[in-house]
Amino acid sequence: MKKVLKAGLVAGGVLALLAGCSGDEGENGNSGDGGSGGGNGTIDMWVFGTTGYEKLADAYMEENPDVEINIQTTEMGDHHNNLFTALSAGQGAPDIAMIEVGEIERYREAQDRFVNLYDLGAEDAQGNYLDWVWNVGGSADGEFQFGLPTDIGPTAMYYRKDVVEEAGYPTDPAELAAEVDTWDKYATFAKEIVDATGKPVVDNAELIFNAKRDQATEHYFNRENELIVEENAEIREAYDYTVDLIQADAVGNMPLWTPEWGQGMAEGSYATLLGPAWMQGVVKGNAPDSEDWMITTMPEGAGNWGGSYLTISEESEMQEEAYAFIEWLVSPENQLESFKDMGLFPSTPSVYEEEEFVNYTDEYFGGINTAAVFAEAAEQVNDVYKGRNYLLVQGEIMTALDNVLSSGGDPDQEWEDAMERIEQRLERE
Amino acid sequence: MVSNTEKHNGRKSRRSLSQDKRNSIAGYLFISPFFILFAIFGLFPMLFSFYLAFFKWNGLGEMTYNGFNNFTIIFNDPVFWKSIYNTVVIGLMGTVPQLIVAFLLAYALNSQVLRFRNTFRVAIFMPYVTSIVAVAILFSIIFNNQSFGLVNSFLGLFGVDPIVFTQSEWGAKIAIAAMIFWRWVGYNTIIFLAGMQSISNDLYEAAKIDGATLSQQLRYITLPMLKPFVLFTVFMGTIGSLQIFTEPLIFFNGNLRVEGITVVAYLYRDAFESNFFGTASATAIVLFAIIMVFSVLNLLITNRLGRGKARKA
Repeated sequence: MKKVLKAGLVAGGVLALLAGCSGDEGENGNSGDGGSGGGNGTIDMWVFGTTGYEKLADAYMEENPDVEINIQTTEMGDHHNNLFTALSAGQGAPDIAMIEVGEIERYREAQDRFVNLYDLGAEDAQGNYLDWVWNVGGSADGEFQFGLPTDIGPTAMYYRKDVVEEAGYPTDPAELAAEVDTWDKYATFAKEIVDATGKPVVDNAELIFNAKRDQATEHYFNRENELIVEENAEIREAYDYTVDLIQADAVGNMPLWTPEWGQGMAEGSYATLLGPAWMQGVVKGNAPDSEDWMITTMPEGAGNWGGSYLTISEESEMQEEAYAFIEWLVSPENQLESFKDMGLFPSTPSVYEEEEFVNYTDEYFGGINTAAVFAEAAEQVNDVYKGRNYLLVQGEIMTALDNVLSSGGDPDQEWEDAMERIEQRLERE
Repeated sequence: MVSNTEKHNGRKSRRSLSQDKRNSIAGYLFISPFFILFAIFGLFPMLFSFYLAFFKWNGLGEMTYNGFNNFTIIFNDPVFWKSIYNTVVIGLMGTVPQLIVAFLLAYALNSQVLRFRNTFRVAIFMPYVTSIVAVAILFSIIFNNQSFGLVNSFLGLFGVDPIVFTQSEWGAKIAIAAMIFWRWVGYNTIIFLAGMQSISNDLYEAAKIDGATLSQQLRYITLPMLKPFVLFTVFMGTIGSLQIFTEPLIFFNGNLRVEGITVVAYLYRDAFESNFFGTASATAIVLFAIIMVFSVLNLLITNRLGRGKARKA
């Protein structure tokens, strides 16, 4: 009898445990729904990186006491994986999710899981943003808007005064930009740098290729999502230009984010770095004592690297409240706040006219107005459609350039091989 | 009287049956958490990937039936075959020298002349409990492409040009195999050591009396007696090396190049970088088949060995 009682108790306990588990799951599901469902009036928001949005959200909640905003910050890779899983499962996504510009391509397939912001009045906000920035956050046909732009990363030319001077070029940003204002002149500049200093003109093949690529009007896919990279003369030209520099010994072998790359930044082992606005922090971090880094415009235009969008998920039951918040959060006034607070470069050109922006100077970069340089760049960026397999194509072209750079591969053969690998991999789609 | 006893017995047996039943229900309930969790997080994904191998799916859009097309695509991809070749070559390079060294280390650790044996045992086992990511980062500094990398600066002493490890056919494989060697050698040493300690000392004493030399003892006593341990490590090593993944991923810093891409890295790239879940699942199934073949071989060989031993005895 005792035994039976014991077994019964244990069995009951296990059952309770299991029931507890499933009950918990149910509750989690519910509270998840509640979070996005608005039962308790909380807007869940997922962000990555250092945005400083918590401060702005606090200010918003003070003005709107009936709205509760809960911001969760996760590391960028995990953030996008979590969001992908939630969207794939069709539940568990937050009301508002931040998506990085490079990542937004793969969410295009899941258009039905986002709210078309045009339905919530995004048309009224559209005029605040640079056209190209706005379009990247929309569908290929422009009918559907995934997100409102946060910050951007327009690119410019960082350069080392000491290296440039050694080759007999002016160190003043305006003068240097005037002297090296085309890519042809940049190639001559590169050769003279190599001859005079023995140093490469750029840190690696990736950034010089990207700089040229970003000035093309079409990249790897057209708006019908067809692969056009092989026929695209502009991309091939970017490739050939990079190869020519490699063969002139003007391209360094310091891949991005490696220790040698950071060290090269501190020691001035290359002349220019074709980087985005947020690279200022990276340069300062790697070369804190250097007085030689300067910034000027890049030849023939600019590109964009980085920036994000704020999206609202379809499953959210507080879509209008969420939209009101993000429209406020990335409005020109608040982008100026984010710029002052965290250095996030604004995607709203009206900010570029603001007094605080016009009078901005950076002692590290010789006391010049770096913000103005990037503002000029931001207005020159091409409106390009990337497509969901963009990174796959980019990766294979980088492999080809790596082979030319480090293993002395034949450039034409490497290009052919890369095209073959791209086609092989795209069959899987 | 008789019937009464029978009746009694009958009741008793009926009662004990239901008692058994209750006990077994309790037992099943006790072990059920594992099986429930396994079904959700282990079994379901496994079965689902079999299903997925016949579909095109990018994780977000619609799944479309694709027949055997996913298999055709990967079988026509030279990189897939390269990844199998890489897996086997890196596996051999990482495992064979490792087992030989582990055997010698175990022999040394087991010998009576060595002092601080326990310290050495712990030290040798340490790499196994080290984070694999830390190991890979450490080794990518050792095998750095630049001339200041540890290996390259050593080679520089002899006037050898720096090797670009990530882009060299053998450099990449050596670097990855070295990581595997370093991480697993201690584990196998401990297994061999346990095996050696299970060999009775009487055998060695008898051999010594008969005048056997040290190498004869090693060859005719230690090696044959260690056979089951050797088999275990060989097959665990084989299966482990078919699943090499983290080392190449971190060594290449995400850009998985053909010089060192392994089968699992290949399917990871398809699934989680490009979101081609169909071909990734098809690759997983091919890998599953390969591992099955090796496991069956394992079973056959061990069975035969077991039988041979029994006959001798």
